[in-house]
Amino acid sequence: MADWSDCMRELSLHILDALENSMEAGATSIELTIDEDLIADRLTITVGDNGRGMSETELARVFDPFFTTRSTRHVGLGIPLFKAAAERCNGGLTISSQLGEGTTLEAAFQHSHIDRAPLGDMTGTLLAVILSGSSGDLHYLHRVDGREFEFNTADIRAELEEVPLTHPAVRKWLQALIAAEEEELGRFASPSLLNSRKESS
Amino acid sequence: MTLEELCRQIPLEVRTAARKLGAEVTGGYASDLLSCVMAKAQEGNVWVTLQSHPNIVAVASLLNLAGIIITEGMAPDAATVEKAEQQGIPILMTHLTTFTVVGRLFELGVRRVD
Repeated sequence: MADWSDCMRELSLHILDALENSMEAGATSIELTIDEDLIADRLTITVGDNGRGMSETELARVFDPFFTTRSTRHVGLGIPLFKAAAERCNGGLTISSQLGEGTTLEAAFQHSHIDRAPLGDMTGTLLAVILSGSSGDLHYLHRVDGREFEFNTADIRAELEEVPLTHPAVRKWLQALIAAEEEELGRFASPSLLNSRKESS
Repeated sequence: MTLEELCRQIPLEVRTAARKLGAEVTGGYASDLLSCVMAKAQEGNVWVTLQSHPNIVAVASLLNLAGIIITEGMAPDAATVEKAEQQGIPILMTHLTTFTVVGRLFELGVRRVD
């Protein structure tokens, strides 16, 4: 579970929480898309899964911090905090869900908003999910304007045949691959304040 | 009270811009929301926060703050350190919470007049 004091600092903690919700909902397939559109000045995070889904009543409870912290262990305080973070940055958070079909969460932020936390450690977040031992698959797509980094653990699994994703050599390779690709993308989406502003000294 | 004295008395670890510790601190402001800091912090203030990403340097530089105190043992990102050195913004670190740091600042006579 995420350390809540870090949520103020990194969006990746909110993303991890959303991914954990999907896994706990029994999803065998999760799609995570991070779309950074610098021209539209929009950052959109989408987490879609094929888990058990929620009824309308359950869905309403997800947004109630008092109810969720007390009663539904698999949801937690995460969604209200994620929603508050998005709304603080001229964005919002919506969830659509269908019982037996799955759930899709979409959080949008003004990319350049001064209170928008950076994405943070996406490598650690993705690895935590990939190496969680869950048999489900993760399809990840991170787009920064025209540039993309994408992978699907289903493809990687097929390539590896018998070797598990948690094998030390695979783990090391994944870590290096994701870190390098995220760093590269990060270069094009670095914090807006420092980019938009001329160096004063 | 200068930053150097604050570093000794609170105490704080100097992470960047050690050359700028002689500045007189005019008061203080504490928040983790950069928008609040932009609206309320004043020139020469010391800013107490647990944010550590590079935008804190941009805010401090824009407002001519005396320095930034990062609390709860958070380490500034490499990019933050680099920018802070470039812009001459002292970053001071502590394991104490923001509440405790502000308490000590008050005891030491660094106050904000609202």
